[in-house]
Amino acid sequence: MDIAALKTLLLNGSPDFWPQLTALTRRAGDFEELFQLSTWRKKALARKLCPPARPAPPLRLAILGGYSLYPLHELLEHLCAIQGTPAELWLGDYDNYVAEIMADDSELYAFAPQVVLLLPAENRCKYSGHLTDLRSAQQAEATHTAEAVLDLARQVNARTGAEIILTNFMLPARHDLGAYRSRTLGSDWAFRQWVNLELGLNAPACMRICDVAFLASRIGGLKAADARGWYETKQPGSPALLFEIAREAANLIASLKRAPKKVLVLDLDNTLWGGVVADDGLEGIELGDTSPRGEAFKAFQKYIASLKQRGVLLAVCSKNDLARAMEPFEKHPEMVLRLPDIVSFKANWEPKSENIRRMAPELNLGLDSFVFVDDNPAEIDIVRQFVPEVTTILLGPDPAEYVAQLQDCRLFEPDNITAEDGERTSHYRAEAGRKALEATVTDMDSYLESLEMEGTLSEFTGVDAPRLSQLINKSNQFNLTTRRRSEAEVLAVMNDPNFIGFSARLKDRFGDHGLISIVIGEKKGDTLKIDTWLMSCRVLKRQVEEIMLNELVRLAKLRGCQRLEGVYLPTSKNEMVRDFYVRMGFVVTAELENGREFELPLATIQPVQTKIKITRQAYGPN
Amino acid sequence: MVQTEVIAQLQTIFDSVFLDPVVLTPAISAKDVPEWDSLTHISLMVAVEKAFGVRFRVGEVENTKNVGEFADLIIKRKQQL
Repeated sequence: MDIAALKTLLLNGSPDFWPQLTALTRRAGDFEELFQLSTWRKKALARKLCPPARPAPPLRLAILGGYSLYPLHELLEHLCAIQGTPAELWLGDYDNYVAEIMADDSELYAFAPQVVLLLPAENRCKYSGHLTDLRSAQQAEATHTAEAVLDLARQVNARTGAEIILTNFMLPARHDLGAYRSRTLGSDWAFRQWVNLELGLNAPACMRICDVAFLASRIGGLKAADARGWYETKQPGSPALLFEIAREAANLIASLKRAPKKVLVLDLDNTLWGGVVADDGLEGIELGDTSPRGEAFKAFQKYIASLKQRGVLLAVCSKNDLARAMEPFEKHPEMVLRLPDIVSFKANWEPKSENIRRMAPELNLGLDSFVFVDDNPAEIDIVRQFVPEVTTILLGPDPAEYVAQLQDCRLFEPDNITAEDGERTSHYRAEAGRKALEATVTDMDSYLESLEMEGTLSEFTGVDAPRLSQLINKSNQFNLTTRRRSEAEVLAVMNDPNFIGFSARLKDRFGDHGLISIVIGEKKGDTLKIDTWLMSCRVLKRQVEEIMLNELVRLAKLRGCQRLEGVYLPTSKNEMVRDFYVRMGFVVTAELENGREFELPLATIQPVQTKIKITRQAYGPN
Repeated sequence: MVQTEVIAQLQTIFDSVFLDPVVLTPAISAKDVPEWDSLTHISLMVAVEKAFGVRFRVGEVENTKNVGEFADLIIKRKQQL
């Protein structure tokens, strides 16, 4: 199928038009293709060729900046629709963004955007003095320029609660000034780099940087610039750059409410080392700095180790004899990855699809958080067919390119790296120690007692916001309502006096679990409605449920509530909490088409006794 | 290249960009074709520059009044590569 064939489907009014449009959009490689596809989509809608119903309500997206936003917005609107985050757009006028943000009666605010893409004008990112001025003066002006942009973005966020996607500044690609350009902050080249760094380092959590400087350097500065496009229609750059900006902005929009992948499942032979360990032996495999290929495989392992550092869990899935497969991890001096780095090691002769399927319950994670990497197309195909939830990466023919393939896969990009990410592997390994202990103590009570658990309850705080949003967006199983919230939305809850939002951290003698449970309630008259109740599955059956209920009851009573109201909204993944409210003593009040409602009168409720020592309460003087 | 040849080649580009068939003549212009809006115009310009291997200079496409003049501009730009 190509674009010409798609046009025929459109002319014939065929319902196949939409899936083909989606497939072609995902493959589109340049501005021309993408723009043509967006045009066909608009024409299909105009001809009342209806797309398959989308459950998601459109996202209110405002685009404003120092450029003409046409046709950038066409590309972005198209990509949003295709990726399942359809957007309703509001467009600012050319270079009117300062007024649009400052004016109280601005149409921007009447539109009430949820996401704002702000493209500040490049021609105002320029040092006003002389190239030979004191560096301190040039630096002060660069800092001030970045601050002014951030101030505008902060204002929009403060007035609307919207997430802000802020573009930074493309660097000039001309030889102007020669070698002197990098020796003064007064050159556009150096000044914009300084401003870009200030933007990135100082932007608060509610902002994402759409890194135009990076995108332009990736495609080449000369290809990204377009003087004619500026003079004729005030374009931010060439069509090639518009294509990159639109794709990046769409990706950022998708990532606001999408968790990154959590597990990387690795093949062994010809993936982590060259050759086949069972045939070539420990000494025969290619790995390490003695040959170029060996060096490439070692570099791949180093990159994988850096992913682990960022919080990605590593697993192995290999068609191999277990002992032979483990040998390099134990004995090969050039191995970067060792057995303690691997949370699940499957080496056997069963289909890889089955092995991966078994890992999910072991790690308490959904299959859709797995990524599988293999150099063998047949293995990739089996996994694609039998566990389609898993994302697969087929490694190319040259191990020199393996690192780049993973670096460009866009599956493990953190919004913010929280300190807890790096500790995740040790959590999962400590869990193994706990399971061993569980087997040695006779009853649950004495087991829980022996864990010496400590719980810390805290109202939502700005410092916790990245972790809160991360947990809210990735918890699937123990999650009563599966309502997702960005960081900005978490902060909005925190600042709204009608909402109660608190979290729990849990420690025990094997380690710190970090922030693992969240409850959000909204006070409506004398009722506290539970908007969100979720928990990380690694602390199931530890009485965290009970301490959260105790705290919720305490806070609700303090606010004069007579009852709690909860709702269970089923998804394909949260069956485990179907009866949660009943277990916690709630009574069913209504059966809904898509769920069930519960109530708990507070008058006679007493706190449940637990084995968790509470070291801090939420909203208290503490 | 003469105008008729250029218009013949333009015809294939227009056929791929427009949904409803348009028969190009030297006298036809955007205002005669309802589908020829600013959106299709961008697609056309990108496709024409690519197909003919030319790059128009700033402001000059805007100054052509119809397809004939546009074809002449393409010829001029091809001669002055």
